[in-house]
Amino acid sequence: MWNRRKHLLLSSLSLLRHISSTPLLRLHPLKPSPLLSPSNSFLPPIDSQLRNNLLDLPRCGFPRNLSSSNSCSSCWNCGAVGPTSGAFLACGSCGAVQPVDSSVDYFQIFGMKKMYEIEEGDLEGIYKDWQKKLHPDLVHSKSEKEKGFAAEQSARVIDAYRTLKNPLSRALYLLKLEQIHVDEEKTVSDPDLLMEMMEMREAVEEAKDTQSLYEIQSKVKKKLDSWSNSFKEALNKQDFDSAVNCTQRMKYYERALEEITKKL
Amino acid sequence: MLRLALKRSLRLGPAVSDTPSAAMVASRGYHERVVDHYNNPRNVGSFDKEDPNVGTGLVGAPACGDVMKLQIKVDEDSGKIVDACFKTFGCGSAIASSSVATEWVKGKQMEEVLTIKNTEIAKHLSLPPVKLHCSMLAEDAIKAAVKDYELKKAKAAPKQE
Repeated sequence: MWNRRKHLLLSSLSLLRHISSTPLLRLHPLKPSPLLSPSNSFLPPIDSQLRNNLLDLPRCGFPRNLSSSNSCSSCWNCGAVGPTSGAFLACGSCGAVQPVDSSVDYFQIFGMKKMYEIEEGDLEGIYKDWQKKLHPDLVHSKSEKEKGFAAEQSARVIDAYRTLKNPLSRALYLLKLEQIHVDEEKTVSDPDLLMEMMEMREAVEEAKDTQSLYEIQSKVKKKLDSWSNSFKEALNKQDFDSAVNCTQRMKYYERALEEITKKL
Repeated sequence: MLRLALKRSLRLGPAVSDTPSAAMVASRGYHERVVDHYNNPRNVGSFDKEDPNVGTGLVGAPACGDVMKLQIKVDEDSGKIVDACFKTFGCGSAIASSSVATEWVKGKQMEEVLTIKNTEIAKHLSLPPVKLHCSMLAEDAIKAAVKDYELKKAKAAPKQE
């Protein structure tokens, strides 16, 4: 029995000696083991600058300079992620003006729902706020690239403001967003409509004093408002033919109002 | 020559060209024929709509809010257009197009005026592409006037029997 114990002891000792002599983990005293630093584990050895850039990618994985609308945009300057809702025209973190993203429509720029009825009074305030951030005069000390972005963004915001402010242009813009194409060259021959317009324009021509012009103006404005409502209803019902018809009438009334203004 | 052109341009308004070559260079201005028709419009006026020998064509271009009325007076025996007049609310090109149309239809047969094409009017006035729809409007007005006259005649015919 003692011999067996001695044998067991000797064999275990020899086993231990064997283990200690064969390196299972080549542990260098200075370099970290690949198994112990998880952040580098699946990346090849790369330049630290490049690694920083890659780690700045937004979670959805889009490359930095491609700004698609809303959630996946990030600033070209500081890498901050843009807002999840609303237009990303200037970075909230560093103030850098972003390149124009034409998939963002005018309503998104003003943070308004895409519909005909909007708070026209709010438009001016929001417009001025944007211009404080985007106007080219405010970026004269920045890079050529950013000046270029500022000029385009500023111009786009001006277009958006003008389009949304005027009811007719807002109506036409909404139709455009719905992909309704209006054939501009087509002539109309609806006798009632044209007769009405003819008489209206004749009345404006022949008006002798400002009083009568004001009277005509208020009549035309009322008609414009009523057709404006009709447009809203037609759009809600998705009756695009009626909607287009309404915009045509509105155009005629607007022309008449322009002529009245010229005469006044 | 240059002074004369300058004088004329000051009198008539901006961007007026005197010679055809100048017209090609000053491409942003109205052609002199358009200006001529605008300043000296021929045949402006109205005929009595109820007159059985009068055909009234009323057309509109909704994109720019233009309205054009062109009327023809037809000699019922010969079917010849003896007189024409127009009234147009619109841009200079629209006014000139309808003015030219009234000049061209006078003295012609009704079938003949139906062959007047907008491209001929546009060429005569050197209309730029953006104003081509004005000449189209004039062509449509001529056709509408002829159609109106024929409808009137057709309505009147059973009564005469």
